[in-house]
Amino acid sequence: MSDLDRQIEQLKRCEPLKESEVKALCLKAMEILVEEGNVQRVDAPVTICGDIHGQFYDMKELFKVGGDCPKTNYLFLGDFVDRGFYSVETFLLLLALKVRYPDRITLIRGNHESRQITQVYGFYDECLRKYGSVNVWRYCTDIFDYLSLSALIENKIFGVHGGLSPNITTLDQIRTIDRKQEVPHDGAMCDLLWSDPEDSVEGWGLSPRGAGYLFGANVVSSFNHSNNIDYICRAHQLVMEGYKWMFNNQIVTVWSAPNYCYRCGNVAAILELDENLNKQFRVFEAAPQEARGVPSKKPAPDYFL
Amino acid sequence: MAMIDEPLYPIAILIDEIKNDDIRLRLNSIRRLSTIARELGEERTRKELIPFLSENNDDDDEVLLAMAEELGVFIPYIGGVEYAHVLLPPLETLCTVEETCVRDKAVESLCRIGSQMNESDVVDWFVPLVKRLAAGEWFTARVSSCGLFHIAYPSSPDMLKAELRSTYALLCEDDMPIVRRSAASNLGKFAMIVEQRHLKTDILCMFEDLMLDEQDSVRLLVVEGCAAFGKLLEPQVCVSDILPLIINFSQDKSWRVRYMVANQLYEFCEAAGPETTRSDLVPTYVRLLRDNEAEVRIAASGKVTKFCQILGPDLAIQHILPCVKELSSDSSQHVRSSLASVIMGMAPVLGKVIGIDLLSQSLLPAIVELAEDRHWRVRLAIIEYIPLLASQLGVRFFDDKLGALCMQWLEDKVFSIRDAAANNLKRLAEEFGPEWAMQHIVPQVIDKMNNPYYLYRMIFLHSISLLSPVLGADITCQKLLPVVIYASKDRVPNIKFNVAKVLQSLIPIVDSSDVEKTIRPCLVELSEDPDVDVRYFAGQALQACDQQMMSS
Repeated sequence: MSDLDRQIEQLKRCEPLKESEVKALCLKAMEILVEEGNVQRVDAPVTICGDIHGQFYDMKELFKVGGDCPKTNYLFLGDFVDRGFYSVETFLLLLALKVRYPDRITLIRGNHESRQITQVYGFYDECLRKYGSVNVWRYCTDIFDYLSLSALIENKIFGVHGGLSPNITTLDQIRTIDRKQEVPHDGAMCDLLWSDPEDSVEGWGLSPRGAGYLFGANVVSSFNHSNNIDYICRAHQLVMEGYKWMFNNQIVTVWSAPNYCYRCGNVAAILELDENLNKQFRVFEAAPQEARGVPSKKPAPDYFL
Repeated sequence: MAMIDEPLYPIAILIDEIKNDDIRLRLNSIRRLSTIARELGEERTRKELIPFLSENNDDDDEVLLAMAEELGVFIPYIGGVEYAHVLLPPLETLCTVEETCVRDKAVESLCRIGSQMNESDVVDWFVPLVKRLAAGEWFTARVSSCGLFHIAYPSSPDMLKAELRSTYALLCEDDMPIVRRSAASNLGKFAMIVEQRHLKTDILCMFEDLMLDEQDSVRLLVVEGCAAFGKLLEPQVCVSDILPLIINFSQDKSWRVRYMVANQLYEFCEAAGPETTRSDLVPTYVRLLRDNEAEVRIAASGKVTKFCQILGPDLAIQHILPCVKELSSDSSQHVRSSLASVIMGMAPVLGKVIGIDLLSQSLLPAIVELAEDRHWRVRLAIIEYIPLLASQLGVRFFDDKLGALCMQWLEDKVFSIRDAAANNLKRLAEEFGPEWAMQHIVPQVIDKMNNPYYLYRMIFLHSISLLSPVLGADITCQKLLPVVIYASKDRVPNIKFNVAKVLQSLIPIVDSSDVEKTIRPCLVELSEDPDVDVRYFAGQALQACDQQMMSS
């Protein structure tokens, strides 16, 4: 068994890697991610997943419903970290799978894959608590800069974390972005990760999030039309039923963190696309109590280092 | 004694640190109390260290907790059991603090020490301590005292015993519910060591008192102990005195109490005996199974098989099975889960007596309902019992009713169910043999390899790899291998690299000529596939081919 296979087994048990292993893993991941386009090509069949937010045991539940990688192909639409108790284990497992099976799993960037946001919403503190230093946070956030911004499945389905941008009308415009940087406060790259579709908006509206835009049905129609896309699949917003179509099936939100923040009471969903792009939503609930570990309150012992 | 005059530098530090402002240092000292004691010697420990600790009780809870724990094992450091009473004062103080876990630990340590003390010392030192705590002004002392009676009582002379019993009775009627709760939860321990003749009088009175308590939190603690208590009593006393109370509680207005009854009823039935159960407790149990609180139904339905064992098949079919049918479509997923985890145990219990046909009519509808439950963990609980059920009920029962379900699970929308279904097929093939499998499983599985969805083709492929070792070389070569080879042309890479994995698993099963003739060429082709994972797993399998060649 290779080191990487062993590390994947270890992470599946929710045991974090050593700092030195994280460093090596991130270096390998960087080599793979740097080759990916801003609009990463993805083949069907593939299962699309939304926000995870460090809810490790709920992600395990996701794999129990959807099947393990590499048997099942996956596209994760970002927001792997923050808020949940296990951002470190969650992101490292996904990253290890990416390094081991680059063609079977695609990871794109969410607005939480950012240095600034993770310092406020938990990932930074979790790294500090679990490793006693911020080195692992540095390695991970450096990798965030390399994550692709969007995915295009069989040229028909556009996958992105947040939504569209007034600065972008064609996929080629996304392809020209220099993505290897911290998420900016405005501009096309920011919008892709921050924007939301909104029923009551026509054209573009101001986003209450303070970044990105709200966009209406007509924006989606013209984007899909000019890029010859069937529909957009995005995440970024909690939907209680796990998934939600809008604008006459031109855009769908997929949300994969059940009982978000361990208290919202929502179900989660993944979208299975078969080899002919037929859709099946699989809805699932949070992992039962007996299937979860107890988060440790104590500071990480020195042996992690 | 030159040693004492010498500077004991590290010890001085430890002692000093007991008073340090930094809680971590104080904690560290307390944890090493035995080291300090060993250095001080037994006499100074008794005369200086222990009194010091007795006064130093106004500390952080964490330090007090550590102290309570350390003192429990301190007898060796103070000169042995004859001096054990020296340890009682500091622990007595710790029994009165606000923090529950400190008190609990102090009580635990006192019990440990008390059970080692000789009888006269218990009477001289331990019993007065219990009495002081029981009469304590502040409730914490009285709460703690309840956990000490069972240590104090056995060594006491009769007069004192009577006094202790009446003191405990007072605690059962204490003004503070928290004291009554403690009395209720410790009553079982106390009852264990009280003489039989007092059980029926004094203890039973306390028990009944507490059972009628106005606080549900007290009542449910008594119910929790009722089965254990019932087993101490003679069965007829249990039936005449406890049973009516239990029946009463099954209709308590607090669901927490009813929940506790549902949890304890089976154990209580063991104490009351099967006849009483059959005559008096069936309606009670049925009522709990139909309780309008889901928590109560969960507890009750989890005991359904055990209960049926006591009742016997006739009563079970008449009274319990109708409830089981209702519960199999209960609105609460947790009730259905609870039922699913035990319902399969009912089949053999009932089946042997009432016959397969009657069983099919009565129990199977409920099993089928749960087997198609919308929550996948409920379905999983049923699948996992299928092999057991198959082995106990035999092939005929199985073919008629459950065969279709087993195939249906292979195409479940949840991966874990499909995976469990594949394992189930393997275990059925083991149970009923290759011939049966060739008729009832293999053709269906092969047929399904045409499914348009890759995740389903994947599970059939996986089923084939699980079945091959059970079915043997001939069937594998003739029937299964061609299907696997065909799947190597699949358009989805995931199928192709799993074909490589399956072929690798078939190498030790089939003849080496088949490996060379069929498996190797297929793997060679896969090893040139455009997909990197297909090439990787084909390469792994080819290596296994080579190793097989070399070893044979």
